[in-house]
Amino acid sequence: MALPNLVLIGAFTYRPLIMNIYYSTLNWTLGSATATVVGLGNYVRFFSSDAAGTVLTTTAVFAVATVGGSMVLGLLVALALNTNVPGTNVARAGVFAPYVLSGVGVGLVWLFIFDPVYGVLAYVLRRFGAESPRWFNDPTLSLVMVITVYVWKNLGYCAVVYLAGLQSLPADVMEAAALDGAGRLRRFGYMSLPLLGPTTFFLLITTILSSLQAFDLIRIMTPTSQGTRTLIYEAYVQGFGAYQRAGYSAAISVVLFVLLITLTIIQIAWVDRKVHYA
Amino acid sequence: MKGNPLTMVPPLDRRRFLAITGGGIGALALSACAGPITSGAAPSPTTSTGTDWSKVTPAPEITFWSNHPGKSQDVETALINAYHKTQTETKVTLVTAGASYEEVAQKFQTAQQGGQLPHVVVFSDVWWFRYFLNDSIISLNDLLSHLKVDTADYVEGLYKDYEFNTKQWAVPYARSTPLFYYNKAMWAAAGLEDRAPKTWQEFATWAPKLKAANPSAQVAHMYSAASDYDSWTLQNKIWGEGGALSKDWTITCDAEPVVKVLQFTQDSVYKHKWAGVSAKDASADFAAGAAASFVGSTGSLVGVLKAAKFDVGVGFLPGGSQATDMVCPTGGAGLGIPKAITPEQQLAAAKFLAFLGLPENTAAFAAATGYMPVRKSSDMSAVYAKTPQAKIAVDQLSHTRSQDYARVFLPGGDREIGIASSDILTQQAKITDRLAKLKSTLTDIYTTDVKPKLR
Amino acid sequence: MSLLTLKRSVEASPVSLSTGATPRRRRPRLSTVLGGYLPLVAIVLLVALPLLWMVLSSFKQVSEIITLNLHALPRHWSLVNYTEAFRTAPFGRFFLNSVLVTVVGATLKVLLAIHTAYALVFVRFPAKNVIFVAVLVALMVPPQVAILPNYVLVAGMNGLNTYWGIIVPSLGTAFGTFLLRQAFRSLPMSMLEAAEVDGAGHLARLWRMVVPTTAPSITTVALVTIVSEWNEYIWPLIITTDPNLMTLPVGLTLLQNNESGPAGYGVMMAGAVIVILPVLVVFAFLQRYIVAGLTAGSVSN
Repeated sequence: MALPNLVLIGAFTYRPLIMNIYYSTLNWTLGSATATVVGLGNYVRFFSSDAAGTVLTTTAVFAVATVGGSMVLGLLVALALNTNVPGTNVARAGVFAPYVLSGVGVGLVWLFIFDPVYGVLAYVLRRFGAESPRWFNDPTLSLVMVITVYVWKNLGYCAVVYLAGLQSLPADVMEAAALDGAGRLRRFGYMSLPLLGPTTFFLLITTILSSLQAFDLIRIMTPTSQGTRTLIYEAYVQGFGAYQRAGYSAAISVVLFVLLITLTIIQIAWVDRKVHYA
Repeated sequence: MKGNPLTMVPPLDRRRFLAITGGGIGALALSACAGPITSGAAPSPTTSTGTDWSKVTPAPEITFWSNHPGKSQDVETALINAYHKTQTETKVTLVTAGASYEEVAQKFQTAQQGGQLPHVVVFSDVWWFRYFLNDSIISLNDLLSHLKVDTADYVEGLYKDYEFNTKQWAVPYARSTPLFYYNKAMWAAAGLEDRAPKTWQEFATWAPKLKAANPSAQVAHMYSAASDYDSWTLQNKIWGEGGALSKDWTITCDAEPVVKVLQFTQDSVYKHKWAGVSAKDASADFAAGAAASFVGSTGSLVGVLKAAKFDVGVGFLPGGSQATDMVCPTGGAGLGIPKAITPEQQLAAAKFLAFLGLPENTAAFAAATGYMPVRKSSDMSAVYAKTPQAKIAVDQLSHTRSQDYARVFLPGGDREIGIASSDILTQQAKITDRLAKLKSTLTDIYTTDVKPKLR
Repeated sequence: MSLLTLKRSVEASPVSLSTGATPRRRRPRLSTVLGGYLPLVAIVLLVALPLLWMVLSSFKQVSEIITLNLHALPRHWSLVNYTEAFRTAPFGRFFLNSVLVTVVGATLKVLLAIHTAYALVFVRFPAKNVIFVAVLVALMVPPQVAILPNYVLVAGMNGLNTYWGIIVPSLGTAFGTFLLRQAFRSLPMSMLEAAEVDGAGHLARLWRMVVPTTAPSITTVALVTIVSEWNEYIWPLIITTDPNLMTLPVGLTLLQNNESGPAGYGVMMAGAVIVILPVLVVFAFLQRYIVAGLTAGSVSN
C-alpha cells in the first residue's frame, strides 16, 4: 500500500539527491554532452572563491533576519491576538493568509510597492519629505527589501503557532500570578516566555529550514541576484542562470543539503533529550 | 540504527514487493546513468558537416523558440502567417520559451539533456557562444549557401558577430546598438548645439551647463540601475580610451584605460555630481524628465518616444580621448539551429530563418520593435518618415565594433563585469582592487569553463 | 542516535489537528477591548493593504500608474490590464491548467498519503521504522536541488510539456504521509482489531473505518496540498515550454518581460490577482483546516 508513494519519493527525491552528489564531482556545463571528473574540485573552487564568503554571509544574514523578524513580530502579533475581543478569529486568519499565497504573485506585488519612483512606498515617503531608498542600487538594500517581504509573508505562521502555545499555557498558574499582583510584563517575561520555550524552539528550527529554502520570492524580486546570493539561489544561478555550471551548482546544492540535514539532526536530538529528561 | 540518510534506499519487503518493483527499480537504475559522458574525450565530430542538403526534404513542422524581444510577439506571429502563405511544406509554431534571453537559454540548455528541442532558437550576444562550446548548434554555412541566401546583404558587422573558427553559427535577428538619447529642450536651455557630444570629455564640459540651466532635472546623465549589471555600454567608454576588456582571450580589464574610464564614471557621480545612477529604469527617468540624457538600447527608442512629452534627440555614442569612431558595441539577438535534430528539421528551420532575414521582413520587424534592420537593402523609408531618430540609429550601424570576448564569450562574463562596475559605481569600491579581482574571476572562467572546450 | 529514540521523539510531539484553538474565557474589560482592538486593526491592515493595492492597481490605466501623483482609487475602473494580460498570454488556458494540475495532483497525493500512512501504522512489514525515517528526511530535501536530475529523467521519458510530467515528480508526499500517520496512530487499535476478526481486508478497514473517523485530518492535508500545488513554480517552469501546458505562476513570469519597464505594472498586478485571488477565496472559507495543517506539530506540551 505504501509502495507507490515510496517509489515516487525514491525516484524523485532520493535519486536526484544521489545524482547531485555524483554531478558535484564533474566539471560539466549544462547542455553539454560531455564532462570531466574533477573529484572535489567544485567544492574547492567554491570554498576558495570570493563568492563563498558573500554567499555564506548572505545566507546567514537572510536566515537570521527572516527567522528573527518573523518570530519576534509573530510573538507580538500572537500576544495581540491572545484576547477574547470579538474579531480575533478574523485577524488570526488574516495575518496567516500571506503564508498560503503564491510567492510569484506576492513578489510581483511588492516589487511594484517598492518601486523607487512609481511605488506607493516612495509616494508615502515623498509626502513626508523623504526619498525612497534605492532598493535596486545597493545589494544591502535589495536584501533588506526581500527580507521584509519574506517576513511579511511568514510572520503569520509564527503568530498562529505562538498563539496556540500561549493558549495552551496553564491558565491556573497564570491567574495565580495575576492575583499575586505580578504585572503583565513581569508575567510575560518570567512565566509565559520560559513556558513558550518548546514552541520557540520548534519555530526556530522550522523557520530556519524554510528560510534556507526560500526561492520564489528571491527569484522574482532580484532576478540578477543582487544582494541575494543565498546558497539556494546561488546554486540556481550557477547551474541554470548565467554560468550554466551544472557540476559546480550541484556542489553548492550538496553543501546546502548537508546544512539542512545537520539542523534537522539537532532538532531531533533536542527533542530526544527532552523526552529523556522531561 | 546508524546510517547515512543520504544513501538510505527505502528497503522493501522482498516477498511482497519485489515482483512489482523489479521493473520500476531497474528502469530507475538505468536512467540514473543519464547525464553527461565522462570519458574526457571531446565529442567526435558528427555527420552534420557532410549532409547533402539537396537530397533532404524539409520537415512538415518546426517550432520557433523566442522570448519576443522588444514585445515582438505580434510581428513574429504576422511573419509566420506570411511564411505560411508563401509555402505549404512546413508549418511553423511560435513558442514563448521564456520572458528573457536567459530563460530561453535555460530551457534550451536543459532540453539538451534529453528533451524536445526547438528547431529555430533566439539567443542573445552573450549566449550563442556557449551553444557553440557545448556543440549544441550547427554551423550555417552549408545550409545558407544551399538555400542561396545573399549573406553579403546582411549588415557586415552584425553578421560577423556570429563567426568563429571561420564558420557562421547564427544569423542576426533582433539586433540593437546603444544610442545616446538627449532631451532637446534641456539642451536648448543650456545653449548647447543640437547634437550628441563627440566625446565623453566634451560632455563633461557640457554637464555643468545642463545642470545649471535645468534645475528640474536631477542630473545631466543617468546610468542604469546597479541591479541591471550593465556591462554592455561600458565597452563604449573603454574603447574610447583605447582599452578593452580583453584582447582575444587575454583579459585586459585591469589595464590603465579601464581604470581611467571607471574613475571618470565614479567621479561623474560622486565628485562632479552631474551624473546619477537610476533607481530602477534609466529610460523611464529620462522620459519623466529627471535626466537630460542617457545611453540606452535602440530597442528602447519606440518606448521612449511614446513616453516622453518633449523632443527626444538621439546621436552616436560619444568617443574618448583615444578614439571617436568605431566605439559603439553591437548587441541584441540572433537565430540559430540546434544540432541534435534531424536534417529534415534543420533544413526546414534554415528555410524559415532565410525567410525571416528577407529585407522586407527585417524591415517589418525593425519597424514594429525598434531593432535594427539587419539587411543592407531593407527599405526603411516608411519608418524614417515616422521616426526620423531611427535613421541615426541605423546610420550608426556602420560604425559599430564587435564586443570583447570577455563579455560575450565567457559564460557569466557579462554578469561578473556588470557586478564589478556596479560595485565601483554604487558601492564606491576601490577601482584597481576591484578590477584585479574581476580579472582573476574572468581568467578562472576562461581556464575552467572555456579553454578545455575550444576545439 | 537510535532509531527507537528517534521514533519516540517524533511521537513525543503529538500533532494537534484540532481545528482552531479555543481561547480561554476571561471577562471582557473596557481597557482590553480598547487595547485589544487597535493592534488587531493594525495587524489586519498590514496584511490587507498590499493586497488591496494590488487589486486597485490592476484596474488602473497606465497613466494612473506611471505618475508621481498617486490616487488610491482608479479614476476610471478599467479592465485594460486584464484584457492585455489575456492577450499577451493565454491566461484562460493557464487557469485551466492550474486547476487541472491542482485537482489531479492533490487528489493523487492525498490518496498516496492515506495509503502510505495506513501501511505505516497498521500493516506489519519489515524495516517500517527505517522507511518512516526515510520519509521524514525527504521533507528536508529542497525541491530546487532535484531539478536537474528529475528533468533528465522526466524528459527522457517524454514527459516534457505533458500534464503527467508536471504532476508526477511531486506526487511522492512526505508531508501528507507524516501528518496522517500521526492522526491514524490516535485511533483505538481495538476498533480495527474487531474489524479484522470480522474478516475485513486492509482496504476495507482503511476506507470504512480509518478514513471516516479521521476525515478532518484528511481535509487538512488535502487543503494544504491543494494550496501548495497551486503555488508550485520552479518545476512547472522548467518542464513546460508550450504555453498550452503552463500553469498560472509560470505564465505570470511571462508577463514580467524584461523590457516592459514601469508601464507593465498594471498588467502584472492583473496577473497577480488571477493567481492570488482563488487561493484567498479558498482560504477565507476553509482557513481553520489549512492553518491547523500548516502549523501541525507545533504544540508539544
